[in-house]
Amino acid sequence: MAHAAPKHRQLPDKESKLFRELLTQYELKQYKKGIKAADTILKKFPNHGETLALKALTLHSSLPEPLTVSAVPKKEEAEAMARLAIKKDITSHITWHVLGILAKSRKDWDEASRAFAMARKQDPDNIPLIRDSIALLTHTRQYPAALAARHHYLLLRPQIRSSWLALVIAHQLNGDLEEALKVYDDYQSTLKEEGATGPEKSQILLHVIRICIEAGKDQEGLDKLRQGVRDGIISPRGECTLLKAQMLANLGRQEDALQTYQELLEQNSDNLEYYKGYLKTKGIDLNVELTDESRSKILETLSTFAETFPRSAAPRRLALDYSTGDKFRELAKAYIIKGLERGVPSLFVDVKGVYTDSEKMKVVGQIVEDIVNKLEQDASLGDDGSISPPTMLLWGYYYLSLHLSYPLQPLPNYTRSLELLDKAITHTPTLPELYMAKAMVLKRSGDLLNAAYEMEKARLLDGQDRFLNGKSAKYWLRAGEVKKAEELLAMFTKKDLTPVQDLTDLQCLWFLQEEGDAYRKGGNLAMALKRYQALVTVFQDYEDDQYDFHTYCMRRMTFGAYVSLMRYEDQLRSHPAYFKGALAAIEIYTQVFDDPSITEEKISPEEEAERKKQAKKAQKAEAKAKKAAATSGEKNDPVVPDSDPTGIQLLKSETPIDDALKLWKPLERLAAERVETWLSGYEIFIRKKMYLAALKSLKSSQSISPSNPKLQYQILHFHQITSTSSEDIPQSIKSVIEKELPSLLTTSPDEFSTSLVDKANTPEEIYYAAKGLSVISPEGKQKIKEVLLKLGDSDVIPHIIYMEKSLTLLQSIAPEDVEEVHKKYRERCPDAWVFVSPSEKEEKRKGYESGLEGFQGEQNKEDEKKQ
Amino acid sequence: MDIRQATIDDLIGMQNANLLNLPENYTFKYYLYHALTWPELSYVAVDPRGRIVGYILAKMEDEPSPNTEPSGHVTSISVLRPYRRLGLANKLMKQAQEAMVAHYKASHITLHVRKSNRAAISLYRDTLGFEVHAMEKGYYADGEDAYGMRYMFNKKSEMESSS
Repeated sequence: MAHAAPKHRQLPDKESKLFRELLTQYELKQYKKGIKAADTILKKFPNHGETLALKALTLHSSLPEPLTVSAVPKKEEAEAMARLAIKKDITSHITWHVLGILAKSRKDWDEASRAFAMARKQDPDNIPLIRDSIALLTHTRQYPAALAARHHYLLLRPQIRSSWLALVIAHQLNGDLEEALKVYDDYQSTLKEEGATGPEKSQILLHVIRICIEAGKDQEGLDKLRQGVRDGIISPRGECTLLKAQMLANLGRQEDALQTYQELLEQNSDNLEYYKGYLKTKGIDLNVELTDESRSKILETLSTFAETFPRSAAPRRLALDYSTGDKFRELAKAYIIKGLERGVPSLFVDVKGVYTDSEKMKVVGQIVEDIVNKLEQDASLGDDGSISPPTMLLWGYYYLSLHLSYPLQPLPNYTRSLELLDKAITHTPTLPELYMAKAMVLKRSGDLLNAAYEMEKARLLDGQDRFLNGKSAKYWLRAGEVKKAEELLAMFTKKDLTPVQDLTDLQCLWFLQEEGDAYRKGGNLAMALKRYQALVTVFQDYEDDQYDFHTYCMRRMTFGAYVSLMRYEDQLRSHPAYFKGALAAIEIYTQVFDDPSITEEKISPEEEAERKKQAKKAQKAEAKAKKAAATSGEKNDPVVPDSDPTGIQLLKSETPIDDALKLWKPLERLAAERVETWLSGYEIFIRKKMYLAALKSLKSSQSISPSNPKLQYQILHFHQITSTSSEDIPQSIKSVIEKELPSLLTTSPDEFSTSLVDKANTPEEIYYAAKGLSVISPEGKQKIKEVLLKLGDSDVIPHIIYMEKSLTLLQSIAPEDVEEVHKKYRERCPDAWVFVSPSEKEEKRKGYESGLEGFQGEQNKEDEKKQ
Repeated sequence: MDIRQATIDDLIGMQNANLLNLPENYTFKYYLYHALTWPELSYVAVDPRGRIVGYILAKMEDEPSPNTEPSGHVTSISVLRPYRRLGLANKLMKQAQEAMVAHYKASHITLHVRKSNRAAISLYRDTLGFEVHAMEKGYYADGEDAYGMRYMFNKKSEMESSS
């Protein structure tokens, strides 16, 4: 002990003994005893900071997880007590440590990291403090500070292997690869004794080799790798050999690198990276426009591989990407015939990758048409007289139906697709895939309800299959039938939870997005926002989950996986699921900002009745729980309920645009290459009157996608806003706008808008051209209507979403014209559910319902026959 | 379909495929635990758009008793319904097994399957060569029994362990 404790911290012998007991009781999880001991001390010394802190910690640790209603005030008490403890004793490592632990349990990493830093100031050599600190500093990406703490730790524990190796990683994360390698060499010369297990040694060495590669030291890495394999430390299977191939290629040793890729392919001939690595090493860059010469080189290589690895589809499939013309026709035909013979349901999804080339899409269509035609006449396909399997025609119909209705088709033929599927169903009425395909075709045609009924048939054919169950639920959600979807999902979720709760707990992203979309389409923005925010929370959990691994991976020595985790978490929110959910939520927030009245609930009488019923039920349950609690003491202490079950509090946010900005922020950095990020950013900044940020968004969009239709509209909008509210804008900002805007708005606004209208061909262009018009000359109703009518023209690909948006736009400008435009859209998309009138909907629904009943009747008869 | 070792970037996709296809589900952290303890053992099948359509989530028995040989375990394996008939489950299983032998010197691999799941039992037994070696009562959360199935990497070690 260097210093005596300050006076206010000293306790008489009796209390001092109690204090030590309190520490032990906390560690042994004897929380009740601990609290009692603390209370005894506090009775005499109510201002003893360290006792207050330990009581707070003990109380906090005793609370149930998840938190129950009766525990809420105790938690608040513990938090307040921990803060009070700091006030009473600001120089104690214990009071700061406790504050840090409580913050950590709230997952408030920043506050925890600050509190731990304070605690370490008081007690610099405290090992557990340093260990937790390192995790927190790493978690919050304070790499230099984490490195310093690691260094300190090594000085205190130089004989432990993991303190050396963890320092290597700390240097790597801090971006200093040279120093990382140096520490590794020092470690090797310092700690000679054996002790790590075989797999641990392998993890360590492989990772050091990775650092060598990152540092550009391929020769050093290669030497280490060779030695490691020779000594039996690392196995030449998988990653080790891939690293070897990459190092050899970097060192210009082409022949050896090719040989190594060959070895990799022998280990796994379905790995595309191996094929691509092989081709790249051969000097063929797949990322640039290929010459005829490199094409034939690629195809030659792939065809050799196809012979060597007959069970792998990869070389034959890759050849479809790199061949053209007659060669493509020949290869595609062979590939498709093989797939149809085997009855591979995913053949279409597999081959449609080439459809981005419209010529290839046409050729594939012809090939399949030919096959189907021949098989309809004769069971033999080839000239050799061999008989094709009877299911081949069925899978031919299946493929063709998906092909003809594919969204990239200039003229999708839904009717023929459905006819083909009906033929296939007559052939084999019990194959769920055929009904799934029918559902997909109907969905593409816009007939969402009919699609859901068809998917439901697929589900009924195999009720034990969760995939079909989920698909059917998804289709019901798309048709706006939330309740029906949840009923189905409940068949595979925990019985003691609602399906929504279970799927949220399990982080089921697709469900949260789809149900959010369903609510949004149905006008229930509050519930939509609630689902989107739940999705955003899942990503927060994904981020928080990494915390334990800062310590764990150092112990397990899985450094390579750990470093990938750190890099992955840094860009976590670039994940498409976050992107989609966040953008949808942002749109709702901007809507609320524009018109706060939409947060006033408009609920139908049915919903009203349902709610009353639910409220009554809840009341009853509560009364029952209270009664039970009164009789059985603490036992009936329910978990804290959701404070916003309808999402209305979320929707009624006082700060909708700030909420939107919070969701958008991660995208600015992580999805900066996507134009949607900046299109969405503009909508936020213009509402916040942050004109320069809005301008920057426009310019970023322009650099990614200069002709993006929505961007053109936003440019006009920006001009309109900044020129009409110009007295609110400071001169300095105005002059920037005046300087920068001409690079976006290259002509007068009128000319700009007219040229957009003239050039508009795609549905998106047409809609935004009209929207642009509505901004600069809202009085030109006639013109806007004319533009919007074009969406229904026969030479424009029908696009239901833009038609819907157009009707909404028109409703706000010229409601008297809506009927005319609606009529034209309806004629163009006769099946689109959104244009069908309520009475027609009822009629159709009845038809589908009886169709489903008939189907079920048939099923039951079949089942009886079997028994 | 591309078949390769699973990386951290694949875990959300694996979780998604698992939720779409199977009734036994796990939170993300459990996937992290696998990938950060046995990074070489889990594999994914990926479609041309980069979507994960099949996976095997695998581990080693964490704390083997001193005299037993290292044993691999399949926590979960699944191929999305539309991607069947491509032999993906077989390929994924083979890759995971070879990795277990190469990196951890595993002598055998085990897995659990619902007693009622006849399709899966037949896949493991008839296609992948597993044998039922134990029955575990009430293994699943809903009370259903599980079969413990096992596959020996070479018959010699099987004889040793049974003698």
